[in-house]
Amino acid sequence: MRQQAIVPAATRLPWSVVDAYTATRRYLRRGMRQPDVIFGSVLIPVIFVVLFGYVFGGSIKVPGGNYRSYLMPGLFSQAILFGSNSVAVGIATDMSEGVIDRFKTLPIARSAIVIGRAISSLLLGIPAMVVMILCALAVGWRPTGGLGNAALAFGLYELFGFAAIWLGILVGLLAQSSQAADVIMGIPTFLLGFISNVFVDPANMPAWLRVFADWNPMSAMVTAGRQLFGNSIGPPPPGVWSLDHPVVTTIGLSIVIVAIVAPFCVRRYSRISR
Amino acid sequence: MSSAAISAERLARSFGETHALVDVSLEVPSSSVCALLGRNGAGKTTAVRILTTLLSVDSGRAQVAGFDVFSQADKVRARIGVTGQTATMDELLTGRENLDIIGRFCHLGAATSRRRADDLLREFDLVDARDRLVKKYSGGMRRRLDLAASLIAEPEVLFLDEPTTGLDPISRREMWAAIRTLVTRGTTVLLTTQYLDEADQLADTIVVIDQGLVVAQGTPEQLKASIGRPHVRVTLPDLDASALERVRSVLGDQAEIHGLSVSVPASNGLATLSEVVAQLELMGMPVYEVGLEHPSLDEVFSIVTGHSDGAGMTAPATEKNG
Ligand SMILES: Nc1ncnc2c1ncn2[C@@H]1O[C@H](COP(=O)(O)OP(=O)(O)O)[C@@H](O)[C@H]1O
Ligand SMILES: [Mg+2]
Repeated sequence: MRQQAIVPAATRLPWSVVDAYTATRRYLRRGMRQPDVIFGSVLIPVIFVVLFGYVFGGSIKVPGGNYRSYLMPGLFSQAILFGSNSVAVGIATDMSEGVIDRFKTLPIARSAIVIGRAISSLLLGIPAMVVMILCALAVGWRPTGGLGNAALAFGLYELFGFAAIWLGILVGLLAQSSQAADVIMGIPTFLLGFISNVFVDPANMPAWLRVFADWNPMSAMVTAGRQLFGNSIGPPPPGVWSLDHPVVTTIGLSIVIVAIVAPFCVRRYSRISR
Repeated sequence: MSSAAISAERLARSFGETHALVDVSLEVPSSSVCALLGRNGAGKTTAVRILTTLLSVDSGRAQVAGFDVFSQADKVRARIGVTGQTATMDELLTGRENLDIIGRFCHLGAATSRRRADDLLREFDLVDARDRLVKKYSGGMRRRLDLAASLIAEPEVLFLDEPTTGLDPISRREMWAAIRTLVTRGTTVLLTTQYLDEADQLADTIVVIDQGLVVAQGTPEQLKASIGRPHVRVTLPDLDASALERVRSVLGDQAEIHGLSVSVPASNGLATLSEVVAQLELMGMPVYEVGLEHPSLDEVFSIVTGHSDGAGMTAPATEKNG
């Protein structure tokens, strides 16, 4: 005999939205209970600022002259890109534990868990970004392109980061283990991050590397940042469309990645272990 | 519509070359407890994963709570509770937060989820630990929380995959008590176990599987009865070989000596027992104990699975928890 029937609640929002909200909240709460992870994510960008701004920076010549102003828009996107690494490891860990099995036996929308992961990762990356900006200001970087453009630039970084997070989720879902996810994710983020215009001007690279660096989406993102912040860049290399239109490239590419990868991740998630 | 809460017909599932399930059929009537009994690797988890919509089949059909597991998975999910073999509670959340989230995912809404979470924490004796992170819970507490989580939406059918494996004896008893309470409320339970005593203690019906096949099924009594007759066992106070031999010869050709005792098939049940007692009295033999013994499920198990090493099946392996 049941004293009181437990019936589903009624809501105005579709369940898929409510479920994604619940999942996001869960991951956010988890994330905030790992202060060591947050500390690490904040510390790494600071180390990068010191390492590249001062250790290597003194010997690097860039167009426009001021290396630290040149560097900061690059380090912002570097930090964003490395964030996608931890999401890949996180989701691969989820998949190897029993918790996903439980979620799959609940009447939750199939999309909820991966969407919750993506949104919470984006939000949990914000403290690191804020620290990064403070560091950049402390070492003399200044956005001189106006407040609106600076805001647009950070919006662009977050959009770019959201696309990178979805790629991270994809890798995490396809990897057989969290260690595998770490390695698989590490190689492309390393290559994309370093063979680009983040740290140096690709004009001085050998021709074959230069092609990669010029067309690298990271370079477009960084160029968009430098333009919008009004930081020195010098003339763009000839014939590289993505660097001539860096803002449009970054927005378009990020949206295309999310539009393709997100539905694929949802399908992959619901088929795992079947 | 059958009245069975769970019915599975000829389920088969392979993983590459491993035939996890070859042919498993079972029916569990509403409000009863069925134990799926088998060794490690017998296919228990595979069967549970199929019935709980987590795994597809190569062939076969299954209905749970009146709905098809494959074509109506969402309807099934809204009516079942599942506690898997591995822990599913988030270590970085408190017990209460874990239950609350499961309630919300069951679409109970915020208020009901909180109320159900608190009710269940009380019921499973976790009130004091409710605001502690699960990573600080003991093994027994985790299992209870996991069980509570699968009850949050008051499921019609509950699946428990090895609910007591790895628990210490006290936690194991507590888990049994919790499961028994559920059953009195009308929930249908399918549990898997490697332990015969657990199946015997909890189940109305037992399905024994081995290498993906059902090798025996019935009530615990039917299974025991199908295997052999009861024995009368006479236990002597000390190890005295000549006394044992004298008892054996008096009790007839079929009597056998095991350690301190002599046992003889009780072909006439209690009548055999009183005959034995009369003969012992006549001999004036001091005895420690005389009794009628039914075959244990252990013996049943080693006979139906064709393995003679039933030994590993009886004693629950206890591990240190947390
Ligand atoms: N996902 C899987 N991939 C490959 N083999 C599996 C998988 N799941 C189970 N098996 C195999 O199927 C058999 C039955 O496993 P399982 O159902 O877990 O047994 P039990 O729960 O009774 O211990 C085992 O031999 C196991 O190794
Ligand atoms: Mg198992």
